[in-house]
Amino acid sequence: MSEASEEATQAVREHRDELRPGERIRAALQSRAAMVVAIAIVLMLLFILAWVQGVGIERIASLTAWGIMLGGIIALGAIGLTLIYGVVKFPNFSHGAMVTLGAYIAFAVVSAMPGQSAGLGPFSFGWDLVLGLLVAMPLVGLVALALDRVVYRRLRRQHSPLVLFAMASLAMAFFLRSMIYLIWGSDFHFYYMGRPNPALHLPLGIRVQADQVFILGLAVVLVIATYLLLERTRMGKAMRATANNPELAQIRGINTERVIAWTWIMSGALAAAGGVMYGLMSQLRPEMGFFLLLPMFAAVIMGTIGNPRGALVGAMIVGIAQQLSSAFINPAYGPAVAFVLLVIALLLRPQGLFAR
Amino acid sequence: MPLLTVDAITCGYGDMEVLSEVSATVDQSEIVSVIGPNGAGKSTLMKAVFGLLRPWQGSITFHGREISQLEPYDIVKQGMCYVPQVDNVFTELTVDENLEMGAYTLPERDVAERRDLVFELFPRLKERRGQDAGKMSGGERQMVAMGSALMLNPSLILLDEPSAGLSPKMVDVIFERIVRVNEAGIAILMVEQNARESLRLAHRGYVLANGENRVDGTGEALLNDPEVGRLYLGG
Repeated sequence: MSEASEEATQAVREHRDELRPGERIRAALQSRAAMVVAIAIVLMLLFILAWVQGVGIERIASLTAWGIMLGGIIALGAIGLTLIYGVVKFPNFSHGAMVTLGAYIAFAVVSAMPGQSAGLGPFSFGWDLVLGLLVAMPLVGLVALALDRVVYRRLRRQHSPLVLFAMASLAMAFFLRSMIYLIWGSDFHFYYMGRPNPALHLPLGIRVQADQVFILGLAVVLVIATYLLLERTRMGKAMRATANNPELAQIRGINTERVIAWTWIMSGALAAAGGVMYGLMSQLRPEMGFFLLLPMFAAVIMGTIGNPRGALVGAMIVGIAQQLSSAFINPAYGPAVAFVLLVIALLLRPQGLFAR
Repeated sequence: MPLLTVDAITCGYGDMEVLSEVSATVDQSEIVSVIGPNGAGKSTLMKAVFGLLRPWQGSITFHGREISQLEPYDIVKQGMCYVPQVDNVFTELTVDENLEMGAYTLPERDVAERRDLVFELFPRLKERRGQDAGKMSGGERQMVAMGSALMLNPSLILLDEPSAGLSPKMVDVIFERIVRVNEAGIAILMVEQNARESLRLAHRGYVLANGENRVDGTGEALLNDPEVGRLYLGG
């Protein structure tokens, strides 16, 4: 056995020296360094394009800051998406709809409050939106859990192929979106109408709104909380163990169905938080989550699918690239920038930045 | 009453029958070795005992309780652990985390104490406790896998090919540890390619062939049985 494996290693070693130059170049192109360079080039290109178009350095700095904030929102979605992929092993196309649902549930809470509360401190929103966020997070978590119980668990028990899971989640995306249309209609909504939210002037000429600072702060808090949960708590370690080797997890006495349930709740709650922030930053519309789906997938794949830290890094890159591009092209094309990054990742290194 | 009784189980994958009416028992604090040619159904027997495969017929009792319909995570709680042949560590978790997952069904406050006992048996693991298990050698991984199984202080450990793919020196180390684990009162049911070695340390052995019981007896009796020697121990 060991002799045979030694022989095999030897053969591989010899073979490596025989690689033709073409193969060697290809291997170099697919390395992590090549991908980092490619992403850096795209970002630099965006900076340079903005510069050439006569966009001031202060505006570029502001756009970068907004990009980090958008990256935070994308990250909340992408971390949930990557966790679901890791633990439940399928790409959840209904994740965007969960983002939207979170935003609308918070909207329902804000609308249900008698009169609109005054802004909290420098922010445009009041305590009712905070309440909406606190309601939306667990509620969307439970919706995600319910979908798993009704749809995905059944598929899991039948050992269904991946494509069935993916199609089912696409169906759930349409289902959730239809529900949102039915309940809240197709009109745009705002959490607060005509609330001023003046920009703050920060050093380096960066202009951001207080709300945007809040969004970034909340994203940071939630990302750190997720990290601590995964690294320090027993359930978090069980999630990583289940993602790494589901069969061994069962053998070790981990109830993997319970781990899956908590993963859905967590990813739903994070998606809801992302949705509320996204709604606060722009406006609510039934398609909002759907347009976040592509950036989220780009972030997940760039940062190695299944890897939460990678999803965070990927989300920041996508967020900054999208905002920078809005300096010289219509912001509606933002997802196209995410698409370009996704294609680069798939061509160069489909296994992503953080593959082992 | 034996600790584990496998009574005439028949099972397989899909509609392919792998085991037909196989029986075996393991007593308290006993080492039992199952040998036989490739494809005899040795690993399948382990999976059936541990609830990873539902027997079609027959019964499995552990501590006098029927377990053939239980899920693995319930069987673990009864005090049985299983170390598979491959993929038996969480490669992306550290040694410490692997051991903690081994004690998943224990209260959190007991983890550190159990871990110290495992470190006593495998000092090497203590040195490398912060390292990802995926970056360790085959022998060290086997130690992590056995250590994780020991975290629960089980009354029975199932070992599937503990020596597979290890260097001869490491095989000796692992076999020596198996004896030490057993001396602590833990019963062991193991499947081994390395039949001669494993019968030497086993109290009793079973020979499986074509998914059926062929011969059984004490380890020594099987070693000295000329037919077993010729057919299953390579002469």
